[in-house]
Amino acid sequence: MRKFNYFRSLFLAVTLITSSLAFTSCDNDNDGPSGAYAEDGVFMVNEGSFGTPNGSISYYNNRSQQVQNTIFQNENDRLLGDVIQNMVIHGDRAFIVANNSNKIEVVNANTFNSLGTIEGLEMPRYFAALNEDKGYVTEIVSYNGSPGRVSVIDLNTFTVSKTIEVGVQPQQLVIAGGKVYVANSGGNTITVINSSTDAVESTITVTEGPNSLVIDRNNALWVASSGVKVGWPVSEEESSPGALSKINLASNTVTSTLTFNQNAPSPSKLTTNGNRDKLYYVFNRKVYQQDVNATTLNTMPLIDRGTYIEYGFYGLGVDPETGYIYEGKVNDFTSSSWVIRYSPTGAPVDSFRVGIAPNGFVFK
Amino acid sequence: MRKLYFRFFFLLTALAGTTAAAQQADSSRYQLQTVNVFGKPAEVYAAGSRVVTLDSSYLSIYSGSSLAEALQTRTPLYFKTYGASGISSVSFRGTNASQTAVLWNGLNIALPTLGQSDFATLPLSGIGEVSVQHGAAAATYGSGAIGGAVLLSSPTYGRKGLSSELQQEAGSFVRYFSNGSISYRDEKVTIGTSAYHRTAENNFKYSDLSRFGAPERRQEHASQKVYGFTQDLAWHITPKTNIALHSWYTYADRNLQPAMGSAHNNAKQEDENLRLLTELTHSSRFGQSSIKVAYFKDYLKYTDNSNNSVADVHTYQLQAEQTYNQGKNWSLRGGLNLQQFQAENDGYAGEKEETRTSLFALFRYDPLDILDLSLNLRQTLVKGYNPVPTPALGFNLKFYQQQHHQLSLKGNVSGSYRIPTLNDRFWTGAGNPELKPEQGWSYEGGLRHLYVLGNELLLETEATYYHMLIDDWIQWAPSSAGTWVPSNLQKVRSRGVELSSSLSAKIGDVNLKGTAGYTYTSSEQVEAYIGEGETGKQLMYVPLHKAILSAEANYSGWSLLGNLNYTGLRYTTNSETSSLDDFLLLNLALSKKIQLRQNTLILTLRSDNATNSVYQTMAYRAMPPRGYTFSLRFIIP
Repeated sequence: MRKFNYFRSLFLAVTLITSSLAFTSCDNDNDGPSGAYAEDGVFMVNEGSFGTPNGSISYYNNRSQQVQNTIFQNENDRLLGDVIQNMVIHGDRAFIVANNSNKIEVVNANTFNSLGTIEGLEMPRYFAALNEDKGYVTEIVSYNGSPGRVSVIDLNTFTVSKTIEVGVQPQQLVIAGGKVYVANSGGNTITVINSSTDAVESTITVTEGPNSLVIDRNNALWVASSGVKVGWPVSEEESSPGALSKINLASNTVTSTLTFNQNAPSPSKLTTNGNRDKLYYVFNRKVYQQDVNATTLNTMPLIDRGTYIEYGFYGLGVDPETGYIYEGKVNDFTSSSWVIRYSPTGAPVDSFRVGIAPNGFVFK
Repeated sequence: MRKLYFRFFFLLTALAGTTAAAQQADSSRYQLQTVNVFGKPAEVYAAGSRVVTLDSSYLSIYSGSSLAEALQTRTPLYFKTYGASGISSVSFRGTNASQTAVLWNGLNIALPTLGQSDFATLPLSGIGEVSVQHGAAAATYGSGAIGGAVLLSSPTYGRKGLSSELQQEAGSFVRYFSNGSISYRDEKVTIGTSAYHRTAENNFKYSDLSRFGAPERRQEHASQKVYGFTQDLAWHITPKTNIALHSWYTYADRNLQPAMGSAHNNAKQEDENLRLLTELTHSSRFGQSSIKVAYFKDYLKYTDNSNNSVADVHTYQLQAEQTYNQGKNWSLRGGLNLQQFQAENDGYAGEKEETRTSLFALFRYDPLDILDLSLNLRQTLVKGYNPVPTPALGFNLKFYQQQHHQLSLKGNVSGSYRIPTLNDRFWTGAGNPELKPEQGWSYEGGLRHLYVLGNELLLETEATYYHMLIDDWIQWAPSSAGTWVPSNLQKVRSRGVELSSSLSAKIGDVNLKGTAGYTYTSSEQVEAYIGEGETGKQLMYVPLHKAILSAEANYSGWSLLGNLNYTGLRYTTNSETSSLDDFLLLNLALSKKIQLRQNTLILTLRSDNATNSVYQTMAYRAMPPRGYTFSLRFIIP
């Protein structure tokens, strides 16, 4: 716990400096929120080692170009949790999903002071807020092949108001047009939930193993599916290829499926830029980018680091303002990891150290 | 075998019925001859290396503890314990849990699936002697003896005629321990049986670091129940031929204590281990022959809300040795060890088998009274995973001897290896056929000083420096496909200093014993074969500093024993970015021996963690605060 003290003093120093800066700049910008993490920056979600509550959040301040690690712990003087899977900012609040702690921590997004804890979840994965009052969280519940669920969260009382059964191993979810779209990674479906009734409205069949999804500027839903993987090392012969599926949200139908020409690797970490006119994803340890109107897969990677390490691109993020690409690069799951930044053209810019296993980025 | 096991069990219950309970605990106090004269090659064939035997009075007072607790308290070994009820894995001279071999009566008992032993399931009760071999000794002990080896032997029942012991213990956090033994010995036969039973709630209070203000909470889901028994038979068939049978059964049913802030997902583990061993020894003009045949059954079941996994392994072992002595200064031992594993595991596709063969030759030569030399060689053969031949060379040189003082120089160069485990090989979707055996080289040297003053004082001091390289270190890590796979991850260099001193003295009617030890361990990655690694940083969960101190005073039936353990800071990541604070643990025990005619009653009051220190050996797993234990032990006669 020596680390606590060290970080506390470091934090104190940083707070003193930043708050004095905040004071001087307050004259020009009276309306902006205040807090140690109120300025433009990016939060990094560090998973931590499974079975150990050493997951954490790091913060990179765009202006000072400084990184602060374990910010939840620094502000609240307690551990964040075990396997931090996801963080979402909605309004002035941030929701942090701790998968193997079965909880969501709610903090003020500017100060990171704790506002409460949502408990009673079973292997929660990803969170999305509909509005200030209601949010949804996917829960795997069990790995035995039985259905997972989505819990409806009352964001005023931080309690579960309803649970909705979905497909097997639900992962990412997005909300669009009052509908909640849930990727069931243990099967081949997207569950559609109507947010006014909180009931399942329909399911959309996609390629096996949907793992991530994103909505583009034309209001089409894109889904990255892994395909079926067999063996280790994954067999090229026995596995089936992954795909990107494009779904028309007006009709809930798949309008095109872009299937990969290699069976063993899986596309994952599907994300988009600020204009939502480009898709980014990781495939075969490389990052690909393509236009949302493209009708074929881009065969040229945007970022290719050669025979890259096993856990490169564990996390992928694109800064909506600058187009900078963020990579979470895991050394192993027992030591601090790296975040590497790339220019919009895919050239490496710089890197810094964060917590263990950064799997996602939240831009502010 | 199942039938055999039930027969043992029946015998045990029958005995327990008539004598209330059976037990052994303290037989090692009687230092009488047993049939196991071939037990420990370490002292004869490992010149220049260090073997330390745990004090028997300590073992008898703490007979209700696990081997992990005893070794943590009394040796430089570091144990990473997953809370009060969880598994406990060892780090010796900066190595990992699979790199310390555990042998019972000379045969390796590590779980073949995991390649390591859970020291929390190994009881002190039912064990005769515990010795620790420092440093690489794979030439003598085989696969896994890289950092060192822990040598256990069956109890020896010394007293002639019928004798028995009963013990009952009650302690804090709802802990109860019962122990009993009965034995018989005459000119020809020794027979003994012992049994123990321990339950603990472990519902202690701790500060929860995962909650605001670290509130005090009561530990949940950390209860355990363990029991087991031993049976030992030794028969002198002729003056030159002996046969011995040893059986050892242990069972543990544990609720695994969750980390603070991690989900309590009902993790439970059941361990059941049955070990049977027969040994035939015979002396002839060609020297001594020994044949050991053993059968081990290791069952492990882990369940939680989303897992249910069972591993069931049958191991058959045969070890045949021939020892030949020429005059007083030559000794040669040649031998063969065969291991056959039959493993069923939820992670494997069907039952898997593996056979390992080892050939070894151990040679000891004392050219002068003051010089001992040893040379050992071992070659193990495993299909697809043959390690390179493993040699060891060592010496002891008594270079100064005066009336009360003796000074020796010692040195040792030894190779070591570890064969990939059954999980490394057969785990579906992970088994890596490209995996190589781990390979180590160790160099050590040191000085030993002895000071003897008649019967009044014995002071033994030793200083050792070692330097060890371990290559192709196997580690499991997540792959890009999200599954965990083993690979030859790194090369590690471990260097360190071990200082120890032990004293026994007699001042009037007071007997004093004391030991002090300090170890400095620097263990770091020097090369990474996957990823970028963290070279030059201390490996996680290896304390740079550990010190132990023990003192015992005996006077007129009273005995006071204190054990102090200082463990320095340990990093909890390989990047030195977070750590656990150092801690100091004090254990105290006060005993009174009362003679009731020919019987003996021993009352003991113990305080474990007497200074109420808050510590963790594995990050975020709360450990018990101060606790008290009261024990009654009755020895007949």
